[in-house]
Amino acid sequence: MGAMEIVNFYLVPGIVVGSIYALGAVGITLVFAILRYAHLAHGDLATLGAFLALAVVTLGGVSPYVALPVAMAVTAAVAVGIDRTFYAYLRERPKIVTVMASLGVALMVRAVVQIVWGVDSQTYTRGIVRPENWFGIRIRDRELITVLAMVGLVVALQLFLKYSKWGKAMRAMSDNPDLALLSGVDNRKVVLLTWTIVGALCAAAGVFLGLNYELKAMMGWSMLLPMFAAAILGGVGRVEGAVLGGLIVGIAEEMSALVLPTEYKAATAFAILLLMLLVRPTGLLKGKVL
Amino acid sequence: MSDILDMRDVVGGYGEADILQGVTLRAAPSEIVVIVGPNGAGKSTAMKAIFGLLHVRGGTIRVDGADVTGLEPNRIVEAGVCYVPQVNNVFREMTVHENLEMGAFLRSGDLSAAYDRVYALFPDLKERRKALAGNLSGGQRQMVAMGRALMLEPKLLLLDEPTAGLSPKYMEQIFQICRDVRDTGVTILLVEQHAKQALAFADRGYVLASGANRHEGTGAELLADEDVAAMFLGG
Amino acid sequence: MEWLGFVNYAVFMAIFIGIYALLALGLNIQWGYTGLFNAGIAGFFAVGAYTSAILTTPFVPGRVGGFDLPVPVGWLGAMVAAGLIAWPIGKICLRLRSDYLAIATIGVAEIIRLVVKSEGWLTNAARGITNIPRPFGDLAYTMSQLAYLAIVAGVLLAAYLLVERQFASPWGRMMRAIRDNEDAARAMGKDVPYRRLEAFIFGSALMGLGGALFVHFNRTITPEAIDPMVATFLVWIMLILGGSGNNRGAILGVAVVWIIWSVSEIVTDRLPHEYAVKAKYLRVFLIGLMLQLVLRFRPEGLLPEPRGKGRRPEAAAQGARPPAASD
Repeated sequence: MGAMEIVNFYLVPGIVVGSIYALGAVGITLVFAILRYAHLAHGDLATLGAFLALAVVTLGGVSPYVALPVAMAVTAAVAVGIDRTFYAYLRERPKIVTVMASLGVALMVRAVVQIVWGVDSQTYTRGIVRPENWFGIRIRDRELITVLAMVGLVVALQLFLKYSKWGKAMRAMSDNPDLALLSGVDNRKVVLLTWTIVGALCAAAGVFLGLNYELKAMMGWSMLLPMFAAAILGGVGRVEGAVLGGLIVGIAEEMSALVLPTEYKAATAFAILLLMLLVRPTGLLKGKVL
Repeated sequence: MSDILDMRDVVGGYGEADILQGVTLRAAPSEIVVIVGPNGAGKSTAMKAIFGLLHVRGGTIRVDGADVTGLEPNRIVEAGVCYVPQVNNVFREMTVHENLEMGAFLRSGDLSAAYDRVYALFPDLKERRKALAGNLSGGQRQMVAMGRALMLEPKLLLLDEPTAGLSPKYMEQIFQICRDVRDTGVTILLVEQHAKQALAFADRGYVLASGANRHEGTGAELLADEDVAAMFLGG
Repeated sequence: MEWLGFVNYAVFMAIFIGIYALLALGLNIQWGYTGLFNAGIAGFFAVGAYTSAILTTPFVPGRVGGFDLPVPVGWLGAMVAAGLIAWPIGKICLRLRSDYLAIATIGVAEIIRLVVKSEGWLTNAARGITNIPRPFGDLAYTMSQLAYLAIVAGVLLAAYLLVERQFASPWGRMMRAIRDNEDAARAMGKDVPYRRLEAFIFGSALMGLGGALFVHFNRTITPEAIDPMVATFLVWIMLILGGSGNNRGAILGVAVVWIIWSVSEIVTDRLPHEYAVKAKYLRVFLIGLMLQLVLRFRPEGLLPEPRGKGRRPEAAAQGARPPAASD
């Protein structure tokens, strides 16, 4: 197999799926670092976002790129609502209780998707898109947009965290929650803001997954393990680490098809996760270990 | 002049049990007051009571005339009290400057005067303003912690063992900074393990034992007291 | 024959309750006693089911097996296999907070599902394993069911007594000490990760046994036999509703949830097809909602953990909550 085939059949799809994982992993890492629990409903929230965009596409007759911001906004509101309804009152209890609650929420969100949209696979647009040829590297427009959108969203998030007052408050809460409270940071606002951002990123991950593959009720759940693997690989609490981790997990999954039966693609993420927990739980970029 | 801190007969603790069995502390404007006492005397607990970090079941706490008993910590911050915990008192993954910024989180408007004031007190920090607080030495971290608290321009600054684990050189430096801060009109209440040195430098001191007041007086008086010496100053 | 039909149905339900009760007891050891979050119950169940099936079925060309061993050997094998899967996972994750174990066990269940689906030589893939022997399977239907119920009841009783004894033993007290205050337990010189590993393996082995009991009752197993997420979640809601840390509560929770779950299935199956599919997911939604309601309004469950002997993880941590904890 030539180098071009490897790039076209493994590296490009790996980077695309890795960008999608990155969007999810950034959310996971933020929840893990600021709210301090593993959010197991993350994948199903992405599914919901993808289907919300589908609703906008079918009802409004617009392109999925127009539906994307709508889906992000609505999913952000749903995420805030889920937190208010189901997680907020568990905040005084051990965090693992919220992990359990999030498993229940995952099931509930997925059931809603299954009730409203059914269980059959769907797509945003029909027809086959032929990839463009860039000096022998074949990339579809949607793949390029996926990667660029991920980069754009992450850069915007990083700028927000670095320079804005409430972005700093989020970092402070992640860094030292007691001291952040002593400094007068209102935890409720940080939680609200975190879920808004995380919900929007979740929806983006879901929409791009649906755009590049297809929409189905289990799409998000099957993304949960790679997203967690990416967040832990990058280092919990590290946004740039989550991106790096997402890309590595995505590329590794696609490359694994060179040596493993394709059924075991999903096992790659699990292997990476266990390996990191075994040798370096702080991740590549030295994140937190809760 | 009325007292900045007026804490009377406070009883309370974290859970069911009362650690404080009636503690009375006062601090006048621009005064350095130190709390000393053997381990388990309730020194840090008394300080946390002022800041609303434990259940106060008896007594009253007033700051500059206003009753703050039982208020949430953020309300107490608004009343003009800042608290520097003994450990984990900086944001390690944020720069020195960002730490100061977090200290002023509740303030709006132009902060440049506040930064200038803090950087004037801690010239070392100005040089390292872009460094991550977690990468600083212990003494510098303590300065960041104090600087963060001073950004709100508090009336009363609570310091929980600011010199713990520091070399004598840094201890002296911290004490000097406390004097400088006091001279800007801030009242300082601090808990100290190094009783001798602390009493020598403070304006006044309290000796606590078993969660209650044992002695009080100027630093010199307490140092001269035989009972105090026998208790823990170790001759 | 209405009456006989009812008896048959009741026996059928009782057998399932017994099997789920084993899973709930296994989870109680992990979560109730030790505070370990296992989100891959269905995986350990499947390992037990397939192990026992492979060990006890007659020879079939095209896949491993044909050992034709006695059923109890299959059950023992199921426990050993589930325990062996739990061991490396526990070894890696139990040093860290329980969140990591939750993620890893989701992964284990996923990998087991992939293996079951794709490794034809081992599990016969989608066609599944058939002709699995059932003890007293030659008897007439009702008698055979009753006989199997007796076996399940016997195994459950043995497991219950064993777990209760462990609970009251120094081991059990130590486990609760570790759960309620890890620092204190560590200061006492207890090897915390090792003890947790014991609990994780022991609990997983019971889940494997549950899978084995299921497979010999069902006589066949295919990858579609269990929806991993729903099965895992059902066991969780059973334990939380019944009362984690209390074995009788766990069994009560199993009975309550299983009866609600199956009766609601009878109701929804009678709906027209179009609604029946939606109603199926509505049931899943409601079971998820039920967990939220229990967590909020009755976190200690129907039968709380006996007081004085130890406290629930929640209660313990609430008491120990530092005054400046976040929010």
